[in-house]
Amino acid sequence: MVAGTHPDDIDLFDYVEEDLPQPRRAEIQAHLSACSVCSEQVSRVEAGRDALRGAQFMHLPERRGEAIFMNLPTQVREPRRRRALTPKQLIAVLTPVIAVAAVIGVLVNTNSNSGSSSAAGETSGGGAAGTRSGANPEAAQAATLFAGGTATDVAAELRRKGFRADVQRDQVVVKGATQKQVREALADRGAGDVQIVVKGR
Amino acid sequence: MEDPDAPLVARARRGDRWAFEQLVERHQHRLFTLAARTLGSADDAADAVQEAFIRAWLGLPRFRGGSLFSTWLYRIGLNAAHDQRAKRRTEPLDEVREPADPKDAFIASELSTSLQAALNELDEDYRVAVVLFDVLGCSYSEISALTEVPEGTVKSRIFRGRRQLAGLLGTRTAEE
Repeated sequence: MVAGTHPDDIDLFDYVEEDLPQPRRAEIQAHLSACSVCSEQVSRVEAGRDALRGAQFMHLPERRGEAIFMNLPTQVREPRRRRALTPKQLIAVLTPVIAVAAVIGVLVNTNSNSGSSSAAGETSGGGAAGTRSGANPEAAQAATLFAGGTATDVAAELRRKGFRADVQRDQVVVKGATQKQVREALADRGAGDVQIVVKGR
Repeated sequence: MEDPDAPLVARARRGDRWAFEQLVERHQHRLFTLAARTLGSADDAADAVQEAFIRAWLGLPRFRGGSLFSTWLYRIGLNAAHDQRAKRRTEPLDEVREPADPKDAFIASELSTSLQAALNELDEDYRVAVVLFDVLGCSYSEISALTEVPEGTVKSRIFRGRRQLAGLLGTRTAEE
């Protein structure tokens, strides 16, 4: 400490609280013995401390304590916050969603093409087996085509070409094949009234 | 530092009222002393304490344990006391009632001492600092966390608060 300069508040406070290391404490003590301004301050601070430490601790009146419990409202739970996804996590989540959406899109597109063909009434593919839907409940899940000739002939032709085809109640039921494969197989047969139900794999 | 209130706080955060009531029992008198000494009125202090505990209960789900529960609670208490003081300034004073309970009479007499009168005249920052340090025995770091000022500022406020208080008490003694 430079002679003639006063210690700051914190130094004097630490002196009063006896929190100073001994060399610094000795310096302050030397200053106080020569400086009436600082020694007066220290005396006041000690008097203030003694008055405050004589202050009584107080107890909350019982009825006011009880009122706290009676007036506690229902605690509202904070909803758990979800962390934002990182770009990697976002890709991992979105990829399967997009893939599923694409497959659905293709299927819907195929069905709507089928629907428009049936709305047109008959055939598609230049006289080859045409497609209709709504003829029976199965049509909702299985594609229905139409071809010329008799059901027996159509089934026989399909079996010759390697399809699993049977005649059931005047319809030809083809299993384990796609609509496109059946349509191509019957491309030469032309339009007609033989109903062919194609059940997928 | 391990928080001695942590187990009860964890339960209270999940909505356990019993656990919260234990915390109220544990802290209500210290919080009341803080409020009463900083407000200088038993009724206002009790209102502030009640408000503080309600705010604490509602705020517990957001309490992350970044400080001691007591530090967090006392900060809420000081804010509630501050609001109570502001409210009191805009409202007419209630009629003073005769305390029915001897304990209430003790509080009333404590709050009518020359010490309390001097405390009421201190700057608010000094009053809060000296009450926390000299009356409640809080550490510098707790007061620093509570009042959001550095420890050096805490020491300086206690120093000046005590000095100002002694001056006020001296003046009063001279007047009496």
